[in-house]
Amino acid sequence: MLLVTVRLPPEATLTDAMEILGLSQEEVDIGYGLVSIDPAHGLYVLRVSEAAARRIDPATGTGVYSDPPIEPFGPPR
Amino acid sequence: MRVLIQLRPSAEIVAAVLDPGVTTTPADVADGLPGVVLDPSFTPVAVPRPVPPAGGDPLSMNQSMTFSLAAEDASVLVRGEIADDELAARLPLLSAYRRDVVGVFSDPVIEPNITCGGDPPVGDWHDVERLLDVGGLAEDGLDGAGVALAVLDTGINLEHVVRHLGREAVLDKERSWMPGSVDGTPGAFEVDHGTMCAFDTLVAAPRATLLDLPVLLSRRQGGSALDGLLSDAVAAFAHLRDVLTAQPEESRALVVSNSWGSFSPRWDFPVGHPGNYSDNPAHPFNVIVASLEQDGADILFAAGNCGRDCRDGRCAYPDRPIVGANSHSRVLSVGGVDVRNERVGYSSQGPGRLSQRKPDLCAYTHFSGSKAFGDDAPDSGTSAACPVAAGVVAAVRTRWPATRLTPGQLRVLLRRTAEDRSTVGFDYDYGYGIVATKGIRDALRRKACA
Repeated sequence: MLLVTVRLPPEATLTDAMEILGLSQEEVDIGYGLVSIDPAHGLYVLRVSEAAARRIDPATGTGVYSDPPIEPFGPPR
Repeated sequence: MRVLIQLRPSAEIVAAVLDPGVTTTPADVADGLPGVVLDPSFTPVAVPRPVPPAGGDPLSMNQSMTFSLAAEDASVLVRGEIADDELAARLPLLSAYRRDVVGVFSDPVIEPNITCGGDPPVGDWHDVERLLDVGGLAEDGLDGAGVALAVLDTGINLEHVVRHLGREAVLDKERSWMPGSVDGTPGAFEVDHGTMCAFDTLVAAPRATLLDLPVLLSRRQGGSALDGLLSDAVAAFAHLRDVLTAQPEESRALVVSNSWGSFSPRWDFPVGHPGNYSDNPAHPFNVIVASLEQDGADILFAAGNCGRDCRDGRCAYPDRPIVGANSHSRVLSVGGVDVRNERVGYSSQGPGRLSQRKPDLCAYTHFSGSKAFGDDAPDSGTSAACPVAAGVVAAVRTRWPATRLTPGQLRVLLRRTAEDRSTVGFDYDYGYGIVATKGIRDALRRKACA
């Protein structure tokens, strides 16, 4: 899955984001939800399938980003 | 970077270098080399000239040769230092500017006992206490009391931490957080990497309040049993923003310790792609890091274990291994030194990808501490160095909330007071130096009186 950013008004919900982006429940990580990453600029992020991310129109002001694994830095192997 | 500079000065100077009865200094040989800080403790050394046999190849070292130390043949070596971020420009210009410069060569550390992964502990956590003068911090009321210290990792086992510290520790379950896919109770996870990190934060800030955020235990789709996903860290940072903004503005203090990162570009978009993480300040995680710092949080990241001397086998970036948020301009990127003040061989070197001047500084690691990995295993990796530094930050925050000293000002203070390990300030091995509390305490006392 990938991360998709979207600009929304304050108090927006995951349903609002899915509606604007034209996404179905199967294409979105519902458990992850909608996360506000920059409240001052109304910027949110959600997790969507790669196929859905490819379909999203960049003209909606969205961005598609990687979601790489992260690991502890130790003990060195 | 420390360098050896080979020069061919006048025959009179070479003769003086060769004469054991005459004292010559680096300045006699190489004075006025722009951008080079000469090492006055290094006595210039004459280097003989290889002389090929008659009719031999003048450019080959693979033949029988004689060596001439005649004053008109020999050259001279001096030692100096060039700022890391100027190396690429200065090296080619030096020989163009000064015709007597024959060559510039690296002068690597040749210590036979540089600390690497798998080596036994070097000292113990009481040595770290002593080196950080934790008693002095406490005398100034800087013990972390009331400061929230978030550990984003594999979860904390508080009982283990308390048992090995030999004193009480505080963990706030209410303000802790875990991804939806993680089962467990804050403070009651299996003893692992996160427990080591929590222990190490409390070395310098024994009265800080731990927040447990086990993002590396996520089982979200796309992850594995041994790691988390960056999206979990995004959600954790969003929670921490709520924690921070719920605090009264006049006493706001939140320190965030991150001993993790991305080892490989395999799961990332390529550099230059708009969705890339490693080199892209617009990635959502890098945005939320900047946003949380703007709100007043102190964010620390381990520099990583991809140092050139003995890198972790998982390191897959071909160069510049301090990537993504670990190299963010608004975080402190922490490298590792052992308690002998020597850089551990696995500590990642700069430049960073988002911000070049990384690591910012170094803190102590590879000491016997939490015993989270067994009685004989050290708290190691820059994973241990990061929470040690986070403890120092939390100690400062006891009396200096973000309204009195912004996170940016605190980073400058830590860099300015670090014990410089080179002669030119910043370098890509140690950053600005090793975190040192004496200078911090002096500066805070001056600031309090101002």
